[in-house]
Amino acid sequence: MKKIEAIIQPHKIEEVKEALKGIGIDGMTITEVRGHGRQKGHKEVYRGMEYQVDLLPKVKLELVITDARVEEVIRTIVTSARTGKIGDGKIFIFDVADAIRIRNDDRGEGAL
Amino acid sequence: MWLMPSASATTIAVKAPFSAMARTSQVDELVLAAFTRTLPPVALLAVGGYGRRELFPYSDIDLLLVVEGPPTGPVSDSISEFLRILWDAGLRVSQSVHTPAECCEIHEGNLELTISLLDRRFLCGRPAMHSTLERLFAPFLVAERRNIIQHLSRMTRARHAKFGNTIHHLEPNVKEHPGGLRDLHVIHWLHTLKPFEWDPLDQARAAQFDVRARLHHHFGRDNNLLSFEAQDSLSDHPGEWMREYYRNARHIHRAAQLALDLCEPPGAGLLLQFRDWRSRLSNTEFTVSRDRVLLRQSAQLEADHAIVLRLMLFIARHQIPLARDTETRLSRVRALSATWTEIKAILALPSCGFALRVMADLGLLQMLIPEWARIDCLVVRDFYHRYTVDEHTLVTFQALERIASKRFRTLLEEIDQPAILRLALLFHDIGKGEGAGHAEKSVLIARAAFERFRVPEDEQATVLFLIEHHLDLYQVMTARDLSDPSTARQIAESTGTLERLKLLTVMTYADISAVNPDAMTPWRLEQLWQTYLAGIAEFTRELETDRIHLPPETPSPFLEGLPTRYLKTHSAAEIAAHIELATQGNAVHFERLGGNFRITAVAADRPFLLASISGVLASFGLNILKAEAFANARGQALDTFVFADPHRTLELNPEEVDRLRDTVLRALQGKVDLAKLMDKRRRPETRTRVTPTVSLANDVSETCTLIEIVAEDRPALLYDLANAISSAGANIEVVLIDTEAHRAHDVFYVRAGGRKLTAEAMGLLKEKLLAACR
Repeated sequence: MKKIEAIIQPHKIEEVKEALKGIGIDGMTITEVRGHGRQKGHKEVYRGMEYQVDLLPKVKLELVITDARVEEVIRTIVTSARTGKIGDGKIFIFDVADAIRIRNDDRGEGAL
Repeated sequence: MWLMPSASATTIAVKAPFSAMARTSQVDELVLAAFTRTLPPVALLAVGGYGRRELFPYSDIDLLLVVEGPPTGPVSDSISEFLRILWDAGLRVSQSVHTPAECCEIHEGNLELTISLLDRRFLCGRPAMHSTLERLFAPFLVAERRNIIQHLSRMTRARHAKFGNTIHHLEPNVKEHPGGLRDLHVIHWLHTLKPFEWDPLDQARAAQFDVRARLHHHFGRDNNLLSFEAQDSLSDHPGEWMREYYRNARHIHRAAQLALDLCEPPGAGLLLQFRDWRSRLSNTEFTVSRDRVLLRQSAQLEADHAIVLRLMLFIARHQIPLARDTETRLSRVRALSATWTEIKAILALPSCGFALRVMADLGLLQMLIPEWARIDCLVVRDFYHRYTVDEHTLVTFQALERIASKRFRTLLEEIDQPAILRLALLFHDIGKGEGAGHAEKSVLIARAAFERFRVPEDEQATVLFLIEHHLDLYQVMTARDLSDPSTARQIAESTGTLERLKLLTVMTYADISAVNPDAMTPWRLEQLWQTYLAGIAEFTRELETDRIHLPPETPSPFLEGLPTRYLKTHSAAEIAAHIELATQGNAVHFERLGGNFRITAVAADRPFLLASISGVLASFGLNILKAEAFANARGQALDTFVFADPHRTLELNPEEVDRLRDTVLRALQGKVDLAKLMDKRRRPETRTRVTPTVSLANDVSETCTLIEIVAEDRPALLYDLANAISSAGANIEVVLIDTEAHRAHDVFYVRAGGRKLTAEAMGLLKEKLLAACR
């Protein structure tokens, strides 16, 4: 099992969700986050005053999937979240030791 | 175990009203039986809810065991045995063991023992120990009464504040939330400590008791949270059932607040001084006493309902609560009507939310706006909303009042007519509760109400626009690419004017903030701000680039080449008047505009034109509030100035109006020696509160350099700025001047020799403008 963590542009979340739904992935956790990568925020001018915007609004998407589906899921997220501009985000992949469904003690992939 | 309610008992209890008394008697029997078997050498007292005979199916059984000294050996054993029997019988015993002396001490940070003793009831055991307790406790209570009331009131107010001081939670806790059973206990305790007259609230009490008993049966434990799932299980019509719940809670909450007001000690010296100071706010109609508003002549209320609105205006202005007597009298008012002028006066005040809440609580808001009944205590369930629709609406007013973000606070300060924004907030969700598309339904309902109040057409149009579009910016900020130019275009197109964009942005801020206390996250705050910025960037861009192009051979080519924004910010009547003015060559139109004045001038565009007109206005001692200047394709400039007359020169000397008109006309023709005119007026020394900022940018507009200035407003500022620009050899193409309070925000689009300024020229001009700001 792998955990996929994707940081994407806020306006892309619906598209990504729909695309994942299209390949049969329904379960995910979505969080509104702020941060920056190499994009490092930007300068903004309002009323003649310049100020630095350091933390940019992003959306974090987390899901746990079977090993077999990793590439397919990554491809789906990349395709649907890409605009080609700086700040499109990143995807991180983690190994998952086990999963347990609290309701009935199901374990492993059966609990996903 | 017979004490645990069985499944069949649950069914019966749900159908028949639950009797807390009967349940108490059952428990009494069991406790007495256990005591008889073990006979610990103590006096046994029921305290807390058990002492009051208010036991719910799964309530804790609060017992006080009064002992002579710390229990040891056989005494301790018999107490343990007694408690074990009770536990084995399935009771959740919550016991405390104290000597009579310990019961008569104030335990800082733990007032619960003292409070629970207010409901003590002797059950059995050593009567001598009980008598000792009674002998000591009565004088203790007299001596510490003030202290206990203070503690109790602080705890209660903190509890209310913890739950947002509102009864209207979509999933309320029937015990702890404002309006819950704990409030009834507080009234009862305060009454025990310091008797006062009060309505026993029998109906509301019985109803809330019933709800809590049903909840206990439903969950099979001491759970008092009226969750959505519980609401669905306990009633066939949960919406209506919850409305009833809130109405009862409202009675209880108000009674608790009144009881606190009656019993709270007057407080410390400083507070008293403040209250005394506030009593100076009294006027011929209202008296302020002990920080409460009273009617001077209460009989007036029956004769003249307009006094109700004046009273609401008074409390909105000063934020002083009503005295109990005033509330009682107001609750007898049966009809209330108002004109838009009266309503607007209240809504114009920043703290009007305070008055609206009082009006809602006393049913006055519903009399004034019968449509309010639609959302009164209305539950619309969704994942994010914490409050009923009426409460959410009132919380938006608080959100506006307490904007923490400086950027949004400044935006609110810049809004010309905050009453318009607040009217939109008051009605924005009035169409909720009838399925999807509530914004459109709210518009229909609001329009009918506005007709009744006779809200003028133009104001109505703005308010209805805000109501209809109140969800737009939220949708944009969460689902659109803010860096995409088409998003910015869409924002600018749908809002139409900068003023409307500002209104909608602040409205969205208030609406999101009122969803639940944590809804306005830094994430959303930043997204909303970026949405606003995308909008204003588009307005700034299109102001210079998007020009009107008329079909060839149009009879009146005056409009050709003016910014398209001109069409959005002026009414058809205004445009017609401008076209008419333009036929006269150089022409000036003067008019009164509410408390201010407006001069509209059409002239052949030339250098120093703007400086000349603003110089003339300054030389008359007039204070420019807003100005805009555009040029059309024929080289005609249209300059509009809105100004105030702080010295009332024009009002007191009508002939000055003609002299002003003539001087402006001569200035249009370049026949006024401005330097001489300005010399007559010495610039007054002003204390600068705003640090001036001047920015020049070449990347915003395709053909012009954009100059943006924020500075302390002062007489002749615009003259000095325009003069500095013209002296630098730059032509002013477009001007937008705005002032709020003491801050001027001026935007100029300039060109020199038909091109953008060079970097060197920009540097020099910036220095000149900064100097002119001072």
